[in-house]
Amino acid sequence: MSDPINIGSVDDIPPGEARVLDGDDNSTGVDISVFHAEDGSFYALDDECTHEEASLADGFIEDSQVECPLHAAAFCLKTGKALCLPATENARTHRVEVRDGELYLYPGEPATTQA
Amino acid sequence: MESVIVVGGGLGGFTAVQQLRGRGFAGRIAVVDPEGVPYDRPPLSKEFLAGSIDAEQLLFVEPHWFAERGVDVYAAAATAVDLPDAEDDDGRVAVTLSDGGRLTADRIVFATGGKPRALPVPGGDLDSLLVLRTRADAEKLRAGLVPGARLAVIGGGLIGAEAASAAHRLGVEVTLIDPVDPPLVPAVGPELAGRLHAMHAAAGIRVLAAAPSEISVRDGVHELAFGDGIGPVSADVVLVGIGIVPNTALAEAAGVEVDGGILTDDAQRTSHPRAWAVGDCTRPRLGDGSPGRRAEHWESAMHAGTAAAAAMLGQEPPAQTASWFWSDRHGVHVEGVGDMTAGDTTVTRADASGNVQAAFRLAAADDGHRVVGAAAVDGGVAIRVARRMIDRGTAADPARLADPAVPYKQLLK
Ligand SMILES: Cc1cc2nc3c(=O)[nH]c(=O)nc-3n(C[C@H](O)[C@H](O)[C@H](O)COP(=O)(O)OP(=O)(O)OC[C@H]3O[C@@H](n4cnc5c(N)ncnc54)[C@H](O)[C@@H]3O)c2cc1C
Ligand code: FES
Repeated sequence: MSDPINIGSVDDIPPGEARVLDGDDNSTGVDISVFHAEDGSFYALDDECTHEEASLADGFIEDSQVECPLHAAAFCLKTGKALCLPATENARTHRVEVRDGELYLYPGEPATTQA
Repeated sequence: MESVIVVGGGLGGFTAVQQLRGRGFAGRIAVVDPEGVPYDRPPLSKEFLAGSIDAEQLLFVEPHWFAERGVDVYAAAATAVDLPDAEDDDGRVAVTLSDGGRLTADRIVFATGGKPRALPVPGGDLDSLLVLRTRADAEKLRAGLVPGARLAVIGGGLIGAEAASAAHRLGVEVTLIDPVDPPLVPAVGPELAGRLHAMHAAAGIRVLAAAPSEISVRDGVHELAFGDGIGPVSADVVLVGIGIVPNTALAEAAGVEVDGGILTDDAQRTSHPRAWAVGDCTRPRLGDGSPGRRAEHWESAMHAGTAAAAAMLGQEPPAQTASWFWSDRHGVHVEGVGDMTAGDTTVTRADASGNVQAAFRLAAADDGHRVVGAAAVDGGVAIRVARRMIDRGTAADPARLADPAVPYKQLLK
């Protein structure tokens, strides 16, 4: 497992928005998006939709789901579960922790709840 | 209920199967489709035509998915369906297959989709005219799209525009022909229809606002003739994309009520208690019993498959939501939601370069306005917000809808 990366303060990502951490800047080599769900929690998934090529960070975040900006497949932010077609493959989750108002991402380490 | 036969393995049929299993149905499921393992159609006029994805990537799921879940896939057409007497609780549904096989079950789902409408002019029935509905159609079309080939696309709607765009990018000389200028006004409203249609000419596609009156072919070259002083168009390949006719013959012959589509209620029940129907082959029966408008979009087929599975299992179907579609051409992503022909006024919002990005169709309400439809070019968030405003009946402020300084999501607050 890799070391956590401090990706900034909780205030950097407003609720309902997401930020992408470039694959070059994390040990997994793929882009990871960190979502600030409307329930106040932070979650991280591989940024690329499991259906085709779209950035989930550009998706529509509501409750604890993100809807892909291209064909509207929805993923659970907590578990990565693909909730509807056209996605049939779950998204990979990564652990995110908030400590002293700072966000720490554990690239490659699954979030605790699994799909 | 112990067994279900799904006739048609397109999106509607596949979703019904996926949802039946996902919702806990452990009985026998058979999918019958001459196309074999279910695959998705939208890429046929986009990535698959362009050659950027292959046949395997069209599949909803890999073939072993079906075997692992005890779903039998029959690569055959259903040629006849016998429904039991509606009152007979023990009667079985019987389906005859094109390979001579015969299947029986407690329930049937008609998910037969549609077939391309033929061009109603002399020569409109030539074997060499191509259509785009199946993987084989797309493969045949793609084989003709060699650089320098001349392609005439008849019909500038969703599929015609996408195929024209993909072909143009492959170096084909494209002529796009549609008597309506611009097409797609009912789907996206006049503002965006105009912007989208203009992209064809801007890309270098020849656009003709005309309807061919006759098509002939000699030595592999087609000639399209036009009435009103427009010179003939020669083309090596002709694609006809002027809409679909729902595949209802099988259901109709089985005695199910059909009126321009298999009539269904909002749980996708047909007039027969053992038969459900989903997707492009259906037409909704409205509350007052009159037939409504056919959907013909990807997402509505998925929702219908879900609703049918839920209803067959006696479960609550998911809440209804405004209809939604997308289309990709010339590098832009188009989406529409709700009904752009309803309501009384349109409000538009411009993007950073001053182009219309989103159009919202509004209906007057006692306390202001409600969104009834919306369309956008590269404006997915606008559409997701508009859909929620339609579904929730959120009051809409036209000035805020139009103001680029107001983030779309704020409109829900
Ligand atoms: C090229 C193309 C591009 C599209 N792009 C978009 C898009 O970008 N956005 C969008 O929203 N929608 C799009 N659509 C529309 C969308 O794909 C359809 O609405 C959707 O496929 C409907 O699903 P369906 O299951 O009702 O029908 P289909 O997908 O047509 O499936 C019906 C199936 O039934 C089978 N069948 C028919 N008769 C029989 C029989 N007698 N026995 C057994 N099987 C039978 C057929 O072989 C077929 O596989 C597109 C459609 C096409 C063709
Ligand atoms: S790319 Fe995400 S749903 Fe298609």
